[in-house]
Amino acid sequence: MSIWRKITKLLGLGGRGSSCHGELRIEGGNRLEKVVIVGSPNVGKSVIFNNLTGAYVTVSNYPGTTVAISRGKARIEGMECEIMDTPGMYSLLPITEEERVARSILLVERPGVVLHVVDGKELERMLPLTLQLIEAGLPVILAVNMMDEAEAVGIDIDVDLLAKELGIPVIATVATTGHGLELLRRKLGERVSS
Amino acid sequence: MALKYDDFIESALASIEALLGGDYRLSKRAIALCLLQEDPDLERQVKEQEGPSYSSIQNIVAQTRAGYSQPLYQIIAQRRQQEVRRIVTLAATSAAGPREGFAERLSRVMMNPITGVPILLLILYFGLYQFVGVFGAGTVVDFIEGTLFGGWINPWVTGLISAVIPFEVIQDLFVGEYGIITLGLTYAIAIVLPIVGTFFIIFAIIEDSGYLPRLAMLIDRLFKRIGLSGRAVIPMALGFGCDTMATIVTRTQETRRERVITTLLLALAIPCSAQLGVILAILSGTGQALLIWGAVVGLVFLLVGYLASKVIPGERPSFYMEIPPLRLPKLSNVLTKTYSRMQWYFMEVLPFFILASVLLWVGDLTGLFDLILRGLQPVVQSIGLPSETAVAFLFGFFRRDFGAAGLYDLYSSGILLGVPLVVAAVTLTLFIPCIAQFGVMLKERGIKTALAIALFIFPFAFLVGFILNRALISLGVSL
Repeated sequence: MSIWRKITKLLGLGGRGSSCHGELRIEGGNRLEKVVIVGSPNVGKSVIFNNLTGAYVTVSNYPGTTVAISRGKARIEGMECEIMDTPGMYSLLPITEEERVARSILLVERPGVVLHVVDGKELERMLPLTLQLIEAGLPVILAVNMMDEAEAVGIDIDVDLLAKELGIPVIATVATTGHGLELLRRKLGERVSS
Repeated sequence: MALKYDDFIESALASIEALLGGDYRLSKRAIALCLLQEDPDLERQVKEQEGPSYSSIQNIVAQTRAGYSQPLYQIIAQRRQQEVRRIVTLAATSAAGPREGFAERLSRVMMNPITGVPILLLILYFGLYQFVGVFGAGTVVDFIEGTLFGGWINPWVTGLISAVIPFEVIQDLFVGEYGIITLGLTYAIAIVLPIVGTFFIIFAIIEDSGYLPRLAMLIDRLFKRIGLSGRAVIPMALGFGCDTMATIVTRTQETRRERVITTLLLALAIPCSAQLGVILAILSGTGQALLIWGAVVGLVFLLVGYLASKVIPGERPSFYMEIPPLRLPKLSNVLTKTYSRMQWYFMEVLPFFILASVLLWVGDLTGLFDLILRGLQPVVQSIGLPSETAVAFLFGFFRRDFGAAGLYDLYSSGILLGVPLVVAAVTLTLFIPCIAQFGVMLKERGIKTALAIALFIFPFAFLVGFILNRALISLGVSL
């Protein structure tokens, strides 16, 4: 993070949470593209959010760390994007309040990309949401996160085949070390500009 | 490549989609699917947008539902799961079965009641008592408050201010008994920040290790008795950091009943980190005093929780939580998280602490302060406390941490000792939630519930203080 951004953040200027609900903002004549990060609790959404925006939202090792929507800005492939981190959701059909909060963003915003983050160890449990997001006609990109832990327990994932079967871009990542996040940025850029 | 359901559902979807004329952000197919699964939020939205044709949609949903013995959401979820299984079998291979490593064994030991409770006690003893109470609230506070502020900064600033400003009244505003620097800044930087900081460090390590979901499993059975489930463990644990933050986290709970009980218990019996640190520090001199405090607050927690679960209607909670793997906390995340929380906290408390000094200064100057103190005197005295404690109570209402810092001050200046000290610690712990917490309660729980909770706690805290004082005196306990 640049010194300048640190200073403006410390002074409470700009940074996350500064934009309004459901509003389209004009910047340099372009609509600000929105990227919404969704997925089950505790899969690393906030780590990816922090990496993309350079901001810091709390990251912990238990489900339910994020209970409200965080917003931040990122430059992806030269384009200014608004990134939104959401509380965990298991399904498009909400049960808890946090899931309702997360879904509401999909009902209000028009995201340029919905980034679905899943745990590589738990594909069977987490892909149903991917299917629901695709069904909903949303522009989905799938990040299969925690690939290191998946490998450690002997799970081998063919992301290209997964991409072909689902019909959406799929990227393997280890968010905590930054592995795969460059590629993720590139794919996000491609989706946003198309 | 849309997923196909069985013909009956597909035809229902097609007819619902044809009836949907409104503007939805999600595809009509997804909306139709949610309607078949009786999603109340979307039903409301669709009803608003579609008007008269909504009843035809309802008819289709009812007809479709009648065609199956299982609920539709199960049928739909099963079909989806089947498709996922097909894809995963193609794209992922699982080599060996999971080996049981050290982490898995440790995890099981943490959740087993026989071994889990001792582990919890060890974490509480070393993490909370030794690190936050003895080291943070003791050693670090002594150094910053006593040596740094008491010995260096405050005398120097006092000298400077007296040299620059000729009027004693204005001098007092900055460096008097309730001065912005000698009281406000000293409280915030020298007492509250070190305690909260050490708490945030230990808490970040606990959070990142994945211990909390395991604690939730361990405590689930006990919590069921008080109308909660293991899910309440995380808001409760967060409450030891800051009850305001924790009240927001009750969103992770499933039923309204659980959220209300957790909010009540957070407001009543969970001390925030500043309070906890101060209490651990000032009561650590006598183990007996600390034990009495812990026992009374713990008892109140269980008793009120139990009674609340009997009184507040609603379904019993079911508990299911994913247990993430135990992970070695990353130093960088622990530090960043602690730093960002301390920064947030400091920005929260600083303006209030300065404002409180100014108010105290004005009150002192106008005599208003004495008036309020005299008014509160009978209340405070009825629970056996010296009248000076009224200040701590008065401001504890605005911020718990300020009340705690005041308590610390009274203790270190020798005004509060023995039985009254324990009574004051118990009453301040139970005492009304601070303004920020009350604000969040209003927002999350609504005005009726929030007011009811506050109105219950206020007399109740004093009642417990009153009974405790009488009991300790009549039992002849000397601390």
